[in-house]
Amino acid sequence: MARSRFNFDALLGLDDRASLRDELARWQPTLSLPEVNRLAEHAASVQPALRPLRLAVVHTYTSHLLDPWLTLEAALQGFAIETFHAPYGLALQEASPGSALVSHRPDLTLMLLRREDLHPDLSRPITGLDGSRLQTLKQACIDRLADVVGRFRAQPVGQILLTLLPSTTPPTLGLFDAQAEQSESRWHAALKADIAAWLRAHCPATLLIDLDDIAAQVGRSRFLDRRYWHSAQFPFAADAAHELSRRVMTVATVLKEPRAKVIVLDADNTLWGGVVGEDGLDGIALGPEFPGSAYVEFQRRLLDFQQRGFVLAMCSKNNEADVDEVLRDHPHQLLRAEHFAARRVNWQPKPDNLIELAAELNLGLESFVLVDDSDHECAAVRARLPQVLVVQTPARPVEVATCLDHVARLEVLSLTREDLDKTALYAQERQRRAVLSQAPSAAGATDYLAQLDMKMTVTLQPRRHLARLSQLTQKTNQFNLTTRRYGEQEMSAFLGSGDWLVADFSLADVFGDSGVVGLAMFRLGADRRAELDTFLMSCRVIGREAESAFLHALLRELAAAGFEEVVADYLPTGKNGLVKDFLPSQGFGACPDGRFARRLDAAGLREASDFPIEITWNRPEAGSPPEGSSASD
Amino acid sequence: MTLFDKLQDTLARTLKVPVETITPDTQQEDLPSWDSLGQVNLIMAIEQTFDLAIEVEDFARLNSVQAIQAYLAEQGLS
Repeated sequence: MARSRFNFDALLGLDDRASLRDELARWQPTLSLPEVNRLAEHAASVQPALRPLRLAVVHTYTSHLLDPWLTLEAALQGFAIETFHAPYGLALQEASPGSALVSHRPDLTLMLLRREDLHPDLSRPITGLDGSRLQTLKQACIDRLADVVGRFRAQPVGQILLTLLPSTTPPTLGLFDAQAEQSESRWHAALKADIAAWLRAHCPATLLIDLDDIAAQVGRSRFLDRRYWHSAQFPFAADAAHELSRRVMTVATVLKEPRAKVIVLDADNTLWGGVVGEDGLDGIALGPEFPGSAYVEFQRRLLDFQQRGFVLAMCSKNNEADVDEVLRDHPHQLLRAEHFAARRVNWQPKPDNLIELAAELNLGLESFVLVDDSDHECAAVRARLPQVLVVQTPARPVEVATCLDHVARLEVLSLTREDLDKTALYAQERQRRAVLSQAPSAAGATDYLAQLDMKMTVTLQPRRHLARLSQLTQKTNQFNLTTRRYGEQEMSAFLGSGDWLVADFSLADVFGDSGVVGLAMFRLGADRRAELDTFLMSCRVIGREAESAFLHALLRELAAAGFEEVVADYLPTGKNGLVKDFLPSQGFGACPDGRFARRLDAAGLREASDFPIEITWNRPEAGSPPEGSSASD
Repeated sequence: MTLFDKLQDTLARTLKVPVETITPDTQQEDLPSWDSLGQVNLIMAIEQTFDLAIEVEDFARLNSVQAIQAYLAEQGLS
């Protein structure tokens, strides 16, 4: 890797897709179309085999010319795409049951729209319009967009990716635009913000892909090729076509691959330059001067990933006291002890430490991303724990800060309040365990639970938690009876249906509030029977009797509504052995057909007072909007 | 690799046909994949393979192997 120039032919010698992606991210080359095709063939040929991915494209300008780039980026992410291009134009007839687009059963639907599709006035300068007209125009644009996107969202078209083509020219008022009262750029920025807010509040499983940001990244002069625009209505020059395709396929990876949850960091030559055990606190590279500045920038980036909801952990071969000293005393260290949910600083093999970290955090190894500079450690982890995503810290300090930016699995498509607080939640859990470990016996454990002063809030039909509930079904592997995964769109349908009882809970105690951590979904039959479709709980709150308190609260609710029996399933997955005996332990009997059932009129429905948890009910209010990506709750 | 070999390879890859399909006499109407979109793809591919910037006015006339070879000769490539 000592090459200092991009070499296309060297790419064709790489035989794994992660290395191909790393090299392209490192050099950001402008690839010619023949190179795109050759590289796509090569990326498709390496192991493991490509998995199918179905893409639909709705477009009001030429979209077929994107295909080579989409095919390349799909292959780099391990997908073979089948693309359906809707007829040219705002093909609203495709947003209906049985249309060619719906029949294509897309995993992703990419909408390539122009501004003037939202309102014809946007094909002319708007700087002459007065304030109230501009306000009406903005609302008309949002209404139009809501109508178009809403129609597609109402059909099973997978994740929607919405794009709006930026202006192909500089702003009407040119140099003066940024300062002008009538600034066009500012009006369009406000429109984009309003569209984003509408999507957040009303349109699940829909992501705005910001072409303005792509234009900023590749440069406006390299975004549009006017020759192709005027001759073929295709706007994108090579770099823009490539970057748009990369972002589209990044979303596919986030949807199809296991969720990454933890970034495990090595210390020496990853968080700082040099080896603290040899160079000492004052000798490591970390601070305002190069190369230390590059590591400060990387630590800053890691805090960004923490804001996306990833938990940081550390795994380093070092003397623990040396690392502790840096975390505590180094003036330029940004990541302190409280930023790490767990740490393993010792001389054990890294794969063993990772297995221990997974147990401590109650998370599967497939949710781990390891960042480590050592060839040897990276190879050891790849060999023994292939489910861990390994990113090797670049040897050149200037490349370190950006080494995670192109890792698709570190992108998120929504953000919940729980994501923002995650590391704090793990820290609270550590405190709880510390209290529990001092409890000498089973009786001590009961005392411990009483000391926690737990308060559970059970919310029925919790529309406001839509994003979180969908996320829980996607992420929860261990305490999950049936492991049914539901996208936001499906979850929204359940929440709006009178045939389902959906309930979630959050749990607060003296250490803090867990946020929404449990979900139950009952399908209500006409025969006074309810079926438990989904029952899951985040592992963060295991061991506090919350699962039983929650289930029995809902069983009492069903009994009060006249239901006589609940049928439930345990569907083993290899990861949910934890709940194998949960149903029998809650009074469910095994049936001859392999299912479980319990009567609700039988004695033994446990009362709220049986649990060391105080329950508050949150009943549905009509018309409350679903929770969006905002931090408020 | 001769100019024709390079052109043949570019056409075959871009239009997704076996390389032997492309002869010095191939014309746009001979190949279903050489439609209007195929044409734009091909223009991009020729530009990038031969390091040229083709004027939009010339797009339409580059509709056969002969015409493309003649164009490349005009540009000083042969």
